[in-house]
Amino acid sequence: MADKMNIMIVDDEEIIRVSFLQWFQKLGHLVDTAASGFEALEKLEDKPFEVMFVDIKMPGMDGIELLEKVKEEYPDVIVIIITAYGTIETAVNAMKMGAMDYLLKPFKPEQLSLVMEKIIQQQKFISQYEYVKGRLEEITRFENIIGQSPAMQEVFNMIPEVAESDASILITGETGTGKELVAKAVHAKSRRHHLPFIAINCGAIPDTLLESELFGYERGAFTGASHSRKGFLEVVSGGTLFLDEIGEISEKMQVDLLRVLEERKITRVGNREPIDLDFRLISATQKDLEKEVSADKYREDFFYRINVINIHVPPLRKRKEDIPLLVDHFLQKYSHETTKRVDHVTSDAIALLKDYQWPGNVRELENAIERAVVLSKSRTLRREDLAFVRPITSPERKPRSLHEVEKNHIEEILRECGWNVTMAAKVLDINRVTLHKMIKRYDLKRP
Amino acid sequence: MTFKNISIGLVPIGEIPNITCKSIAAHILGYYNLDADILPPLEEPAYAFDTRRLQYNAGLIITAIEDKEYDDYDKIVCVFDADLFVPIMSYVFGEARQGGRCALVSTYRLKRNVDGSSSPLSLRLERAGKVALHELGHLFDLHHCTDEQCIMHFSGGLQALDEARLNHCRYCSLYLRDALRKHHGAEDKAP
Repeated sequence: MADKMNIMIVDDEEIIRVSFLQWFQKLGHLVDTAASGFEALEKLEDKPFEVMFVDIKMPGMDGIELLEKVKEEYPDVIVIIITAYGTIETAVNAMKMGAMDYLLKPFKPEQLSLVMEKIIQQQKFISQYEYVKGRLEEITRFENIIGQSPAMQEVFNMIPEVAESDASILITGETGTGKELVAKAVHAKSRRHHLPFIAINCGAIPDTLLESELFGYERGAFTGASHSRKGFLEVVSGGTLFLDEIGEISEKMQVDLLRVLEERKITRVGNREPIDLDFRLISATQKDLEKEVSADKYREDFFYRINVINIHVPPLRKRKEDIPLLVDHFLQKYSHETTKRVDHVTSDAIALLKDYQWPGNVRELENAIERAVVLSKSRTLRREDLAFVRPITSPERKPRSLHEVEKNHIEEILRECGWNVTMAAKVLDINRVTLHKMIKRYDLKRP
Repeated sequence: MTFKNISIGLVPIGEIPNITCKSIAAHILGYYNLDADILPPLEEPAYAFDTRRLQYNAGLIITAIEDKEYDDYDKIVCVFDADLFVPIMSYVFGEARQGGRCALVSTYRLKRNVDGSSSPLSLRLERAGKVALHELGHLFDLHHCTDEQCIMHFSGGLQALDEARLNHCRYCSLYLRDALRKHHGAEDKAP
């Protein structure tokens, strides 16, 4: 018995639809019919079909137009054109547009058999392709990090190499590039993989709290310390400690951590008894710490201690070839989470995503896809579903003055930050007062 | 294994030689273990004749016969010596609806060989028997089979029909046995 396929018959003549339906029922396939191209597209949005038999001559949307739309949005669907008005030109045109074959009504029984054999063969190719694609995904995924670009492949190659040693690693890269995923991958590949992986966001914890979080404290060490508590440096015991946003820690904390890294011992706050430590440190930052060191804003000795090995995670705008893979991954993730079946993205939508610069990197892309999946009303994400993603378009690429570029950039950042001046000033790395002056100078107005 | 409580009615349409009906009945008894009674012939169905195609619409004939009262029979197999079509195809050797009650066999295209020469009577009868068994299989809800030698394999032309064997493949045999058992509560009188 042949594998069951979901087949749709699209023909405005009921007698033809019924005839096809009865014939395919004898083959055991699951058959649905549509009386017009519009109805066919609606049904395609509701459930997947492997094969479509499409009549060329239909009122409203003809078969060629439907073929074009199907191939654009559901390229995997096999389309067979059926026509009573067939000319070689129409058939050739349909085949050029992606139809697998065509049938002239009424056709000889053996012709339909041949077409069905061709379809089954094609299905085999598709399943082989899916298998190869799956294998490729394994190659392009590394411990949940996705990327086929040379830059990411370099990161993938580096991870197992550096995982073997105990040397401190500093992962650099812009916000949202996946630095923590890289740290987790290193931990997973290391001999410490069965021991804890503890991640601390240094930028999110005040300095005093960070000290007790890391080093722990004894009962009575300070007001409110009603019981002793182990710090993460102790808890991690044998595992990996991941300190995110290491560039944000105070100089005092840099000194304290430097001593820990050199001596591999700590003393809890309120206790003088040293405790031996065994952990691997992985840090991450989006700052240019070398620049900070040069400007005397960061301790050089601490920087060299945490930066024995450097892994740089490239920003998404420099690996745009990874966008389709990432989109595919996030679609699967959010289709599963939201139980909404959204499994296609039009080429137009992908082009839009590739045009955008993604200042928030993969995290921003993930949020965009999640939002689009939640709001989507069909199985396919179209360009209009991603209208909130604003590509940096360049309709007129004529030379612009520095003044103009600066004005546009400030305006764009303000827009991205929802006109939150403090946030925009932080992104622009300028003083808030300076930003206010610039807004006034360039006469920028909140929309 | 026999299913004596399942009855098949064989209905000639127009003038069908008695030997053709008897041969089909023998095929049904031999390969399905079901008795087939030859019933009085029906008149040629003028209502189903398509003047543009000069063929008979198989679907219309089946619909008309399913409306007739053949209460004593579970399934009806009609034999017609005219060229049949379904709207999507230029011709068919036979027609039946999946899980339906009535099947139709055309002997029209079975008389000649692929090269146009006249086929011997024995071959014509064997072909008619194969088409009848295939269509009857659909009435018992058997689907087309991918095994080219199985009787349930779809034969688009005479060559494929001649190459098909009179047997069901082992999967279709199982499905058929299950279908026959399900039909009429399955009084299994296996020895």
